[in-house]
Amino acid sequence: MKILVIEDELKTAKFLKKGLVEAGFVVDVAEDGLEGLHMGLELEFDLIILDVMLPSMDGWQVVTSLRQSGRRALVLFLTARDAVHERVRGFELGADDYLVKPFAFSELLARVRSLLRRGPARPQENIRMADLEIDLLRQRATRAGQRLELTTKEFLLLTFLARRAGEVVSRTLIAEAVWDMNFDSDTNVVDVQVRRLRSKVDEPFPVKLIHTVRGSGYVLQSEQ
Amino acid sequence: MSFNPNSNSERSLRFWGTLAFRLTAGYALAGLLLVFFATASLYLVLLTELEKSTDLFLADKLHVLRTMLRERPNDLDALREEVELESAARRYEQFYIRLLDEQDTPLLTTPGMAEQLDLPLLAAQTRSRPDRALAMKGRHGQSFRVTSAAAPVGSPPSQTDTIQIAIDISQEQELLARFRFWFWAMLLGSFVIFPLVGYQIALHGIRPVEQMTTTARHISSTNLHERILPDGYPVELASLADTFNQMLDRLEESFGRISRFSADIAHDLRTPVNNIRGEAEVALARARSADEYRDVVESCLEEAVRLSDLIGDLLFLARAESPLTHLRRERVDVAELLGGVTEYYEASAADGGVSLTTRFDSEQVIAELDRTLVQRAVGNLVSNALAHTPPGGAVVLGTNADSSTIRIEVSDTGIGIPSEALPRVFDRFFRVDTSRSQGSGGTGLGLSIVQSIAQLHGGNVEISSQPGQGTRVTLHMPVSGAG
Repeated sequence: MKILVIEDELKTAKFLKKGLVEAGFVVDVAEDGLEGLHMGLELEFDLIILDVMLPSMDGWQVVTSLRQSGRRALVLFLTARDAVHERVRGFELGADDYLVKPFAFSELLARVRSLLRRGPARPQENIRMADLEIDLLRQRATRAGQRLELTTKEFLLLTFLARRAGEVVSRTLIAEAVWDMNFDSDTNVVDVQVRRLRSKVDEPFPVKLIHTVRGSGYVLQSEQ
Repeated sequence: MSFNPNSNSERSLRFWGTLAFRLTAGYALAGLLLVFFATASLYLVLLTELEKSTDLFLADKLHVLRTMLRERPNDLDALREEVELESAARRYEQFYIRLLDEQDTPLLTTPGMAEQLDLPLLAAQTRSRPDRALAMKGRHGQSFRVTSAAAPVGSPPSQTDTIQIAIDISQEQELLARFRFWFWAMLLGSFVIFPLVGYQIALHGIRPVEQMTTTARHISSTNLHERILPDGYPVELASLADTFNQMLDRLEESFGRISRFSADIAHDLRTPVNNIRGEAEVALARARSADEYRDVVESCLEEAVRLSDLIGDLLFLARAESPLTHLRRERVDVAELLGGVTEYYEASAADGGVSLTTRFDSEQVIAELDRTLVQRAVGNLVSNALAHTPPGGAVVLGTNADSSTIRIEVSDTGIGIPSEALPRVFDRFFRVDTSRSQGSGGTGLGLSIVQSIAQLHGGNVEISSQPGQGTRVTLHMPVSGAG
């Protein structure tokens, strides 16, 4: 998967490239709007990550020109301006998603992945991770064959983490997906919930699956 | 572009546009019209009255002569006295009478009549319109009024004589001419005096406004405490001064709030930035193990997240103040929404040994609200309540509604808020206990955000608290978005 990052702030461009390359993408960087437009027209990209405020040509113009030339690459806007009418304008011009600075890299990654996934993921019946088994049909989870007594929300939380096994999931995303709380609430509310889940899923077993990533969130994986 | 060729015309335009000019013009015009109409109508009255009295005099004379001719046709002496002597005895308003027989032969004539008047012309003019007074010029340019009438002689009449009377009205004409002269003189005088007086009046009336302007002009953000003294102004302007002072009060208040806000924001931004900077500097001062570096980077990330949260909250508040902000209203089952929030905080409450419950008075409360925002407001309130309620306490969420308003209530049995701090709890960055500001993890913006959300919905927040007993916060919001 090829991604073009058009971003004039060098540090931002650098960490975006680094993070995306480490997540397994091929990344090109353009430092201003005009250069970005040229690269977007010359080369084929699956996704373009685009800053709105750029020298020589702003993000709106870049996406307009790209769409006029028939380029169908997905476009994700980055902006420091979080006004509803700007968001609407972005979507009208053909942007596919929108992220406000400052953002969590894990969230950017999640959005990039969900944009590139193209269509809903196949519904899975069972998720397996080491000795953890989740039966989605019967709403049941077991570890090492032992049934885990989970509440509905705990089961949802475990499933959410397991579906994104190996990905760092932010607290905001967890609150949104499991409790439908669409705001940045106290992060320690999610921490308490995860701690409770851990006491049931990890504590009785020697191998720990749920790991805290300081400052970012949580990840479910079998080894550190 | 220092030279401006249009400056003259601009200045004159500015003069035409001044209030003083407009008032002056108004006064002057009104005054002139008044003088003009008053004098003009007086002149007309005088003119008609003079004419009427002359005509009455003529009619009277005619009547006397006719009576004499009818009753005593042969008393020539009496007639002669009437025609020749009485007139000659007058110094002003002299009149002349001529008596003609049926063959137009003059029988009697006031002496000097032929010198004053062109008699054949008189005869010609009056013959066609008998019994009517007409204007006529004399030989020397004097003005006359003339009339003629038929007079039957004897009764029964043996013949019909003709009486011609002319009266010199030069004196009256002179009077009218003088009147006209003074009329124009007065108008001219008014034309000069009214604008001058009017201008003075206007200046006098405007002076308080100018004083007020001067005061207002030198009020700036540095001396916002200055006020316009309302004494000595006329009532209308005193109320303007009062309004202006109230505006200054509000401005001063918001300036104060902004400067407090800036100080607070600087502090709250500085702390995490300082942590990041210091930790990174210390970490780089010498070589460390990978674990140590990891620890520093993680700590920096935590600080950065804190900064992001703060910026996010500030942006939210700024956006909520923008008049362009629109709510995404939808039908929300408020009880269900509160249930969701309760579920979310359940574990935290249990962790802190606090019971978190809901209590609904009515079966279902449905309102048109922005679900995410209300969720956020209630979440903030519950989070606050849990943070300030010691183990063993209780937090209760409730809702009820009447036809127009819904109320969402979050009450706790926590430590409460001192009454002197209550009015300020919705201020940005205000914290009741400043010492625990950093430890509690909040940005100090939670209640401000709750208030903005209520206000965005067209409602308000109410808080009551009893130190040591607990706090109750109530959101009041209209049931529907319309109105």
